[in-house]
Amino acid sequence: MGIITVLWEKWTEFRRDFYKITLAAMISPLMYLIIFGFGIQTTSHGEPYLQFLIPGIVAMSTMTGSFSAVAQNMSVQRLYEKALDQVMVSPTPLWQFIVGQIIGGSLRGMYAGCVIMLLTLPIQTNLIYNGWSFLMMFLNGTVFSTIALVLSFLAKSYSDAPRYTSYIIMPMSFLCNTFFSTDQMPGGFRQIVAAMPLSQASRTIRSISIGDNPGIWGYVIQMVYLVIFSLISFGFIYKKKNL
Amino acid sequence: MIKLQNLTKKFGNFTAVDHIDLQIETGEFFGLLGPNGAGKTTTISMMSTVLLPTEGSVSIDGAVLSRKASREKQKLSVITQEFSMRQDMTIDEVMEYQGRLYFLPKKVIRQKTEELLDFVGLLQFRKRIVRHLSGGMKRKVMICRALMTDPEILLLDEPTAGMDAVSRRQMWNLLRQLNGQNMTIVLTTHFIDEAQALCGRVALMNQGKLEQIDTPDNLIAELGVFAVDEPSEEMLHSKYFHTREEAIAYLSQAGGHASLRRTTLEDVFVERVGRRL
Repeated sequence: MGIITVLWEKWTEFRRDFYKITLAAMISPLMYLIIFGFGIQTTSHGEPYLQFLIPGIVAMSTMTGSFSAVAQNMSVQRLYEKALDQVMVSPTPLWQFIVGQIIGGSLRGMYAGCVIMLLTLPIQTNLIYNGWSFLMMFLNGTVFSTIALVLSFLAKSYSDAPRYTSYIIMPMSFLCNTFFSTDQMPGGFRQIVAAMPLSQASRTIRSISIGDNPGIWGYVIQMVYLVIFSLISFGFIYKKKNL
Repeated sequence: MIKLQNLTKKFGNFTAVDHIDLQIETGEFFGLLGPNGAGKTTTISMMSTVLLPTEGSVSIDGAVLSRKASREKQKLSVITQEFSMRQDMTIDEVMEYQGRLYFLPKKVIRQKTEELLDFVGLLQFRKRIVRHLSGGMKRKVMICRALMTDPEILLLDEPTAGMDAVSRRQMWNLLRQLNGQNMTIVLTTHFIDEAQALCGRVALMNQGKLEQIDTPDNLIAELGVFAVDEPSEEMLHSKYFHTREEAIAYLSQAGGHASLRRTTLEDVFVERVGRRL
């Protein structure tokens, strides 16, 4: 099964770069936690700001973890190493390769999110995480893995991958419900930002963490994103003439 | 059997491969020769689905090759001009990845990896990261990787580039041996002597078009099997003759530095393609 092959490939990469990957997953979220959570001590809706911030940082980590795992890897494989040619020529069905990349990328995102959960455990915030939180983390990872795939198929040079991070990941990190609620944004812009995948992930994980019912819509919206970007990825890998 | 029908590849306004028709029989050793930019690599890339044609098709045993054609792709292996493999993997991991992509059982992967790496003298380097290998070693890994899957068709794009003379000869022997086992081999090379030594038929390609297709012997016979070289201060002039008598007669009238020799495929290449460059 091609999916297992890709997961094996991702696992060998993870095993080899375990320390680098773990460190990269920790540094920026930790900085945000220290600066916004401990440095600027404030409250949100009567609760310590950390209560609000941590679920957002967890969601953001799943996004950055999965996006960087796929975007960098695929851009290097396609444009620099040309290792994607090995996959293209092989009999492994290309849809399985794509699905493997999505799952593998998402698992890397979940790992990054779990690292943050573990790091914030000693703070004793009484935040709740359950199966629904992990499902949302997984879905959020799959969405950003597919976005990374699409962008890496569009990339014309190796240096495009970091640019995409600046254009997409950075604005989402700051705007999409991580550090402040999208409710505070002006009308029109608010609705657009609220519909972004990271906003949905943050909102859902945050609701669960304080014992609220997040509803089903967050999951549905993520599924819609997943289907759209997966179809675009399949289109690229099967139809793009000069991959 | 591989069939290229009306195969065309355009990059914007530039036509890299221009309406090629070609049939390569099962078990044939076929060479694609041409100057830089002739369209050889683009042709090989379309034969392996890395690039999709703008027009026309490639078929294998009657079935049109596409990115979805897993059964046809199972028959193929490619050695590309570039070191197209994960540079951050060890040799062992590169081999395992290839085996997995072709659905080989783990036991077979292990056994074939040992056999092939031993054959090319890389067994002791199996745990080394590809990035840290020399160019020649990387080329050998590419060969091992391609042979891992016992392909029916082997597409080779400049397979001996960067290899030393001994490794190159080893490679030739290996390719002859594989072709002897009825493997279809398609080779592009800059080394014309390589094509002459190995290929049953060659195609001369220039500016995306196939100029001539025949056996090396026929191509040489057509030009003339004897060559007289007349060196001058600016360049070397060669004249070709169909009989030794004609060549000797010409030689006796030529200057003292002229010499007689047998015509090679390189002469054919220079005459047919090089003159127009």
